[in-house]
Amino acid sequence: MRSPIQAILLCGFASGLAGGAEKIDFNRDIRPILSDRCFKCHGPDARNQKSDFRLDSFENATADLGGYAGVVPGDLEASELHFVIHAEDPDERMPPPQSKMSLSAGEKDLLDRWIREGAPYDTLWSLKPLPPTVPVPEATAWARTPVDAFIERGARKAGLTPNEDGASESWLRRVTFDLTGLPPTLKELDSFHVALRGPEGGERAYAAVVARLLATDAYAERLTSEWLDVARYSDSYGYQRDNERFVWPWRDWVIRAFRENLPYDDFITWQLAGDLLPNPTRDQVLATTFNRLHPQKVEGGSVPEEFRVEYVSDRLHTFGTAFLGLTLECCRCHDHKYDPVTMKEYYALSSFFANIDEAGLYSYFTRSIPSPTLLLTTAAQDKQLADADTAIAAAEQAVQAAADTAGGAFDQWLMNRARGHEWHGLLAHVTFDDRSGNGFPDRVRGEKPATSNANNKSVPGKRGEAVQLTGDDPVKLPGVGNFARWEPFTVGLWLNTPKAFERTVVARRSKAWTDAASRGYELLLEDGKPSVALVHFYPGNAIRVRATDPLPVDTWQHVAFTYDGSSTAAGLRLYVNGRPAATEVVRDHLTKTIRGGGENDLALGERFRDVGFKGGMVDDLLVFDRELTPLEVAELHDGRSLQAALEAPADRLTPELRAQLRAWFLAGHPPHAAALAKLEETRAAKAKLVDGIKEIMVMREMDEPRPSYVLERGLYSERGEPVTAGTPAALPPFPGDAPRNRLGLARWVTSGDHPLTARVTVNRYWQMFFGHGLVRTPEDFGSQGRPPSHPELLDWLARDFVDSGWNLHHLVGNIVLSSTYRQSTLTDARSREIDPENIWLARGTTGRLAAEMIRDNALAVSGLLVRKTGGAPVKPYEVAVSFKPAKPDTGEGLYRRSVYTWWKRTGPAPVMMTLNASKRDVCRVRREVTASPLQAFVLLNGPQFVEASRVAAAEFLREHADDPDALIRHAYRALTSRNAAQQQVDILRSLYDEQLSQFTEHPDRAAALLKTGQAPPAGDLPAATHAAATVLVNAIMNLDETVTKR
Amino acid sequence: MNHRAPSTPPCTGFDSPLGLSRRQALKSFGMGLGSIALADMLSAAEGGGRHAESGIEAPPVKAKRVIFLFQAGAPSQIDLFDHKPQLIKDHGKELPDSIRKGQRLTAMSGNQASLPLVGTPFKFAPHGDSGAWISDLLPHTAKIADDLCVVKSMFTEAINHGPGVTFMQTGSQFPGRPSIGAWLDYGLGSLNSDLPSFVVMVTKGKGGQPLVSRLWGSGFLPGKHDGVRFRADKDAVLYLNSPEGIDRANRRRVLDKIRELHQLQLEATGDPALETRIAQYEMAFNMQRSIPDVTDLSDEPESTFALYGEDARKPGTYAHHALLARRLAERDVRFIQLYHQGWDHHGNLPGGIRKQCKETDQASAALVTDLKQRGMLDDTLVIWGGEFGRTNYCQGKLTATSFGRDHHPRCFTIWMAGGGTRPGTSHGATDDYSYNVVDGGVHIHDFHATLLHLLGIDHERLTYKYQGRHFRLTDVHGHIVKPILA
Repeated sequence: MRSPIQAILLCGFASGLAGGAEKIDFNRDIRPILSDRCFKCHGPDARNQKSDFRLDSFENATADLGGYAGVVPGDLEASELHFVIHAEDPDERMPPPQSKMSLSAGEKDLLDRWIREGAPYDTLWSLKPLPPTVPVPEATAWARTPVDAFIERGARKAGLTPNEDGASESWLRRVTFDLTGLPPTLKELDSFHVALRGPEGGERAYAAVVARLLATDAYAERLTSEWLDVARYSDSYGYQRDNERFVWPWRDWVIRAFRENLPYDDFITWQLAGDLLPNPTRDQVLATTFNRLHPQKVEGGSVPEEFRVEYVSDRLHTFGTAFLGLTLECCRCHDHKYDPVTMKEYYALSSFFANIDEAGLYSYFTRSIPSPTLLLTTAAQDKQLADADTAIAAAEQAVQAAADTAGGAFDQWLMNRARGHEWHGLLAHVTFDDRSGNGFPDRVRGEKPATSNANNKSVPGKRGEAVQLTGDDPVKLPGVGNFARWEPFTVGLWLNTPKAFERTVVARRSKAWTDAASRGYELLLEDGKPSVALVHFYPGNAIRVRATDPLPVDTWQHVAFTYDGSSTAAGLRLYVNGRPAATEVVRDHLTKTIRGGGENDLALGERFRDVGFKGGMVDDLLVFDRELTPLEVAELHDGRSLQAALEAPADRLTPELRAQLRAWFLAGHPPHAAALAKLEETRAAKAKLVDGIKEIMVMREMDEPRPSYVLERGLYSERGEPVTAGTPAALPPFPGDAPRNRLGLARWVTSGDHPLTARVTVNRYWQMFFGHGLVRTPEDFGSQGRPPSHPELLDWLARDFVDSGWNLHHLVGNIVLSSTYRQSTLTDARSREIDPENIWLARGTTGRLAAEMIRDNALAVSGLLVRKTGGAPVKPYEVAVSFKPAKPDTGEGLYRRSVYTWWKRTGPAPVMMTLNASKRDVCRVRREVTASPLQAFVLLNGPQFVEASRVAAAEFLREHADDPDALIRHAYRALTSRNAAQQQVDILRSLYDEQLSQFTEHPDRAAALLKTGQAPPAGDLPAATHAAATVLVNAIMNLDETVTKR
Repeated sequence: MNHRAPSTPPCTGFDSPLGLSRRQALKSFGMGLGSIALADMLSAAEGGGRHAESGIEAPPVKAKRVIFLFQAGAPSQIDLFDHKPQLIKDHGKELPDSIRKGQRLTAMSGNQASLPLVGTPFKFAPHGDSGAWISDLLPHTAKIADDLCVVKSMFTEAINHGPGVTFMQTGSQFPGRPSIGAWLDYGLGSLNSDLPSFVVMVTKGKGGQPLVSRLWGSGFLPGKHDGVRFRADKDAVLYLNSPEGIDRANRRRVLDKIRELHQLQLEATGDPALETRIAQYEMAFNMQRSIPDVTDLSDEPESTFALYGEDARKPGTYAHHALLARRLAERDVRFIQLYHQGWDHHGNLPGGIRKQCKETDQASAALVTDLKQRGMLDDTLVIWGGEFGRTNYCQGKLTATSFGRDHHPRCFTIWMAGGGTRPGTSHGATDDYSYNVVDGGVHIHDFHATLLHLLGIDHERLTYKYQGRHFRLTDVHGHIVKPILA
């Protein structure tokens, strides 16, 4: 945080420099002014600005405006720009007063000098290709590494001398926190001390520490913790209802990736497009969960398309911020006002992220994982699944064999067949005749009529009476129709539709439409066409076939569908008027249960928040628990086809009729029926196995890309010009040989010369070590961002990173072993005055520890920290007092590292929030660190910290029972990695003595304090002493030296 | 010193939203330079430190503080304030297409086969000298009619609660923007030195549409501008109380030592961040007293509870929070935000709305009366309202005794009192069916612009640069609603 004094000083400093004599650099001196004050009306967004005059390129700025020009290079007096920025008259002045923007005298002077120097333009620095090599400047002996050479040059130019190394233990503390998020142990402090003086010498000791730290799980957890902000990771869906969701296996993948030092280009590629890699491994697919971590919506009544569009945008914005450092969100509604990205390019880029079969809302009534998903099988489950598939294949062969060998039996039957038939497997038959109140008799189940309220009227029907539906009131068949996806079944009915509904529900076993993601099965009319589906989660986990022709309106039509239990669209058949309808397969991916949602009965004409069959009529409904053969469906329609076939003389059968008779015969032929039953059994076994396996949201590309459009004003409903996937023209061309999908995009973004990706990445990691990036706006490498303080260093680091094979260990080593990183943070008033923000890094940076580190430090020092890597999120004490309180864990869940803390978006862990953790609603690459009194409450009073103080105090006391000063020194060093000075010991000693006498006098207070937390009490210690030591440790825990990197 | 820092210097030419320099701002809060760190922490005009050079006058400050009585879930304007005899006459008829004009409905009633109009079953009468029409659901509010400025022509684009509340509180339907209170804290800083400047209280135990903590979040502003939620708990703010066994005197002793140690370090390093840290702990100590001082009602006379109702004694109730709001306002907390959930009456509206009104009516009116009696209404802006309105047609089944109303973004009613608003007025009008605004429409952006205006802020100048763009509470919209200004 900058104090006001600093702010005022910096003002003076900067304006003092503005009049300096150095040659103008467009990107450094001019672009920020033009961009910030002029581009809004005279920038790249030509369509949406009032003026035709543009200042975003040399050509535009110097264009002839009818006898004069905005900028005449070298000629101040002829340049309109010069005139208007100095104009006294508010009507002529630019920027105009009503814009609430103005130029300082220094800025006007800079613009004048620029015009005089010929008004040179330059490509935005961040869009220039990454140079193949970057020369390292000359440096003094101070510099250990190339990084230092750049830093030294910058510092000396600014009139500063780089600092000497700080204390070695300061470096060890800093590097241990920066790389692992944990403090160095006392043992590590000691052995480093020894190693420095050992025969191997100092530099080796430093390098050895770095190598040791990079090889720990703690390192992987620390980098993961940082990446979770970027990835907007959360254990709940977000928005308003914010149900819990299952995504932590992705977080564990990130930990594995960092632990194995996965090359960063692969780290990017897997997350963007792991599913599109050839024969992807499970981890490569799992990595793509990254794109699904945006908030998701369930609120009833929301428009699914609105939110689907929002998700796609979020993916793109995250991509833009995380990898490109561009504020792409600015071009959602218009061309970018500052950077060369158009609105059309925005939608072309976003279409890369649109091609998954997803819903705009997740399911309220079920726990379905929003599609597409990945089954997270164990190796044992993989084996079981393979066995199940083998069993199914064998059963299918057995069915075929039973059919093949039934020829003789069929011929024999054909000669001697009976002329009558019975319906097998009929579960319900409602004719809608003989209505009694709100009941329609069921011819099969006399005791269980179909039910309706009085609003659905009985009207003359196809046969006798029919029911006419209001669209808001269902007809239900209690106890009928709750089929599993392995069970064959058939539904047939007569219907009469008053119009070609765009969408309407005729029949369904399903609780709701979007509110249950259509879980169940359903017969709809879509654009007037019969459409039948079995659904786990629509659209990505379902099968659907739809007739190609609409039904005629205002006439009775017979519609039936049969299903064979195969979970495939091929097993789902639609019949209209007794004949197979011409259909198209709309969805063919059903892998999980269709049961559930809370509505188990088959019902007609209505569904929760869906479009009811208003004015539609239904008659003669039959439900079977088997797949009817075509002849039977024809019989349902005309009441004579089967009978006629049975009566047809054998020698006069057409081949078609013979085949139909054979199918009907097989259905009742015992060996064939037995084989079918066995097949059903094997399918059931596999389905039950799969239903027990967890799945996680991932990316899976649709076969056909979703048509994409420019959305006018960014609105989901305002489709404009169609677009195809592509990258912005101002960036490098899309590789000619790459596919136009996310994988191609990943190849593009990780190409070795991409101007942004490597720069953005090294900048973010630089920030992790120095508190600020070389570009202090890591989220914005565009015109409105701050230009790099050390452009050559940024380029050198980026080039070196790419050349190392995107090796993070290499990058990290470059940084933490540098003299720059080792510098002492102590400085004098002059250096503070020249460089209050420490831009030139002529001293070590100070900064408060991240939220996770403050908590983990307390746990580590107390010995309470449970070192276990990965697994389900945990609920420490603080979740009990969040805005959405939850029950804290007992035992080890209280003491895991903070990266594992359960993250609920609408009420995130309050200690983390108070200590400035990111909320993780959207991609964030920077945290604002503030100092508020509420943070003092957390550290002084929060049970996690009081308990840690108590447990740590007990440890220290056992070692130093009779020596309070030694206790103090030990505690101080454990918490701060530093030796306390005598003066500090004295102050803490007086604190301890005061506390001891107070708690001795008031044993009740000591007892009360020592009750904090679940950790077992230390029965072996005198309560007053233990309480006093607890307060002592807690006081040290609150010191700046504990919570600040210095 | 001939090398220019490649950062955007703070003197960018952007004017402080108040037209105040930071130094002036500090002075006006009565803090000398000695307490600068403290002032900085309290965010005394973070936007300051920039010189006002355009000479544009900032609007005069009418309201020093705001109490926003947010009725979450969207109360029915038709049954409370927007009296529509024609609608009552057409009760049971289908919503005419000439009124609906094909506008989008929520997916809850949008697929309903029939949309019958519902006139209010509640009695309306004109109240006060101003003759404001208020239904008998709000007898107490009716008594303060002449203090109210009722806006009947509010409208929004949001049709669902999440986006709707987010819009009302942050000026955007989607998450990520700072809330009103955070903007004010950023723009104006704190008026007090020992309480947060943005306090939030949510009625306890109310079901209904969930709220989310980002509604009082700072968005992309620094986290210190987050609203601080007061909980109906022994710790009114997170971990406010010292642990069992540590009394106030002992806490002071410990903090004295911590300060001594920080002082030592300040001398050793010269790092001004240490001053901030010292102030941070001093303020924490003060807040440990000042917050209980607000929440302890033992000094309130019986007449207070007669005014606010007996509920005001029960922590967590709306009435209790209304009373706390007055106590916070007395201590110059800048923005006090109440949330009362439960207005989402999709079904059984008559029963539901009666209960909601009973919980809120008396205390809302009492707060206005109380502030007026104390001479604080002039510079305290009280706002009552929800995120959108409700439909004139029935959701679900219309029966003789019951009905429901769906979400309706096209019009809704809020009221304001004090803080420079014009008392005893009604602004704007809807059509005969309370469906469309026909006069004086006030968009949410306009409401925000007006609110900021009353606080002495030009809404176009209160900006924060994030991701390269100068963001405003009012985005790129917003007009001050002049007719409602006193």
